[in-house]
Amino acid sequence: MNRREALRQTALAAGAAALWASLPARTWAALAAPADWSADDEALLTLIGDTIIPATATSPGAGSVAIGRFIITQTTDCYLLQSIDTLRHALREIDAASRQRFSHPFPALSVAEREQVLTAYEAAPQQGAHPFRLIKELTLLGYFTSEPGATQALRYDPIPGTYLGSVKLAPTDRSWAL
Amino acid sequence: MTNHPTTPGAREHTFDAIVIGSGISGGWAAKELCEAGLRTLVLERGRDVKHRDDYPTALKNPWDFSHRNKTPRAVVTANPIAKKCYAFDEATAHFFVKDDEHPYVQDRPFDWIRGYQVGGKSLIWARQTQRWSRFDFEGPARDGFGEWPITYDELAPWYSHVERFAGISGNYDGLETLPDGEFLPAWEMNDVEKHAQGKIMGAFPGRHVIQGRCAHLTAPQPQHLAQNRGQCQARNLCYRGCPFGAYFSSNSATLPAAAATGRLTLRPHSVVESILHDSATGRASGVRVIDAVTKQATEFFARVIFANASCLNTNLLLLNSTSARFPAGLGNDHGLLGRYVAFHNYRGSLSASVEGFEDSYYSGRRPTQLMMPNFRNVRKQETDFQRGYMVFFGASRAGWQQDNYSPGVGAAFKDRITRPGPWGMYMMMQGETVPRKENHVRLSADRKDAWGIPQLVTSIGYDDNDEKLLRDFLARGQEMLEAVGAKKITARDSKQNPGLDIHEMGGVRMGHDPKTSLLNRWNQLHACTNVFVTDGACMTSTGTQNPSLTFMALTARAAQHAVAELKKGNL
Repeated sequence: MNRREALRQTALAAGAAALWASLPARTWAALAAPADWSADDEALLTLIGDTIIPATATSPGAGSVAIGRFIITQTTDCYLLQSIDTLRHALREIDAASRQRFSHPFPALSVAEREQVLTAYEAAPQQGAHPFRLIKELTLLGYFTSEPGATQALRYDPIPGTYLGSVKLAPTDRSWAL
Repeated sequence: MTNHPTTPGAREHTFDAIVIGSGISGGWAAKELCEAGLRTLVLERGRDVKHRDDYPTALKNPWDFSHRNKTPRAVVTANPIAKKCYAFDEATAHFFVKDDEHPYVQDRPFDWIRGYQVGGKSLIWARQTQRWSRFDFEGPARDGFGEWPITYDELAPWYSHVERFAGISGNYDGLETLPDGEFLPAWEMNDVEKHAQGKIMGAFPGRHVIQGRCAHLTAPQPQHLAQNRGQCQARNLCYRGCPFGAYFSSNSATLPAAAATGRLTLRPHSVVESILHDSATGRASGVRVIDAVTKQATEFFARVIFANASCLNTNLLLLNSTSARFPAGLGNDHGLLGRYVAFHNYRGSLSASVEGFEDSYYSGRRPTQLMMPNFRNVRKQETDFQRGYMVFFGASRAGWQQDNYSPGVGAAFKDRITRPGPWGMYMMMQGETVPRKENHVRLSADRKDAWGIPQLVTSIGYDDNDEKLLRDFLARGQEMLEAVGAKKITARDSKQNPGLDIHEMGGVRMGHDPKTSLLNRWNQLHACTNVFVTDGACMTSTGTQNPSLTFMALTARAAQHAVAELKKGNL
């Protein structure tokens, strides 16, 4: 490829990148407060999400991306109608398990106690699909498609440029976000 | 010209050529006819979509989508057919028709996936492009279910013609079953794919594992840069429209080339109701158009008409083009119009895990996958079913999406699922189906669409041959994955409806004999030679290849013939 062609290609790529930068971002943070859900329920879901994906040295936790609101909105808008009941049922069961095991509601527990409650709940046999799956699935979706999740917990490269078929994986390397 | 209309305003409504449809074949017809000097009107039933400007989601991040690119339930419920398409989601829904706006009647279940806009489905196609081989053109006659009126050698230069302009990446594999084209550099295989290639080709001579061939600019050539198209950036967000113009579409490539001649008139929102037949000349004189918005009827006139409305819509259009000479539809002297519709059998797939290769990864998102050209019944009949299948496959490492039901919470869980998981492999089939007379489309006797045009009735289904071919693929796939050393092999029959392959073909098939076919070897209606059909409707059989490249080559070839015949005064 000659220089003129190379420059022209670069200009094409730069034009697209500028367009990309000008797009509005973070619609995830702008979700309306859900109707029919109390602030306590939303806060409880956020706390559960943040227990599944907590903040670590390299990236924030799911609580930092309003995960409770995302779970409610996504369930309401995208899932089967009965999934709302599944979600509420899971919250009741998690709350009951917290009180039974540690004599306090979930938000009053330490991080280690919350993890124990959720680990036991996930392992408890259920008839049919486990309600915890819905929460976990949506926590992972909401977090890993959020800006902090995609860019800090994973590696996000919107314009890779090419495909390399053989790349040595270093011990610290994370997965690609897309 | 004998077909000059005399009504007021007719002059502005008269062109040298009319192209019905602006998708992958219509775009090619427009480019070739305009470049040959013809003033060409392109009629598109949908809205305009301008390259780059009308790709609203192309550069959005995952967090820019309200539902993170999942389709809201209301959209799913309102579009029970479109939602089945793998490419339909929050980022692409605007390029698919709304099911309730475009009803059709399913005599037997058929998922009709449609994109009504300038560029048609060329915006949302899968971009895999392989030439047919001589075995595919000769197959129907050998197996006694049809006859192609052209050979591979006749089409080969036209494959080259469209490949150079479109830009096709691929490896020179030297296979008679899948001839090489004019290739840009191939994409790379990853380490597990290379491993699988070695194991499969070692264990099964004659089963070739090759890199996919696709319409992506891996190394743009001067003719592509002249189209303002740049190098593929390996984003694999193609179904949103490519702002780099790196994959081939009508919007990025052929329509701009046609417009650059100054001879193109592109008219969106133009639903073609019928092709008009002039009994005095024995030719088509023009088309009758219903404005999609105002629903007013208009007529346009030309000496040559190309029907590129997409396979089933071209069938519908010809069936609805009735006249004293053709009471059963244009060119339909024998009741075969709308019959011998076929498709690709996509029902079978397999998945498996592959152990090891833990320090190997990849970067970027490749817009193609490995393939295996058909190895069944190639040179002679060998199995208890007719024809064969192409296999697509690939390997990748699990991410959080695949791993999300693995147990655990907290920091250790987060650390685990943010790292590449185990390797997995998948395989899927693209099987040839044999065109059957009973697999057909027809016009509804009583139901009409919003533009007063009869709805299409689809009566298309699988047969016993398809079931046998599916079972063979699943068995061969299993043995190949075992040879790779894969574990947890799972075979699946999706039982998906015909149509979801989005490779419907036929109904206006080509052939030598006017008694058994609709189109001659130049894609002209035998009985009305200034009408050319060069979209999927013209196909005599389906092959095992992705069909668009063949539609492109047939279109360019037919356009050149149309121009030559016009010059000779034959049209």
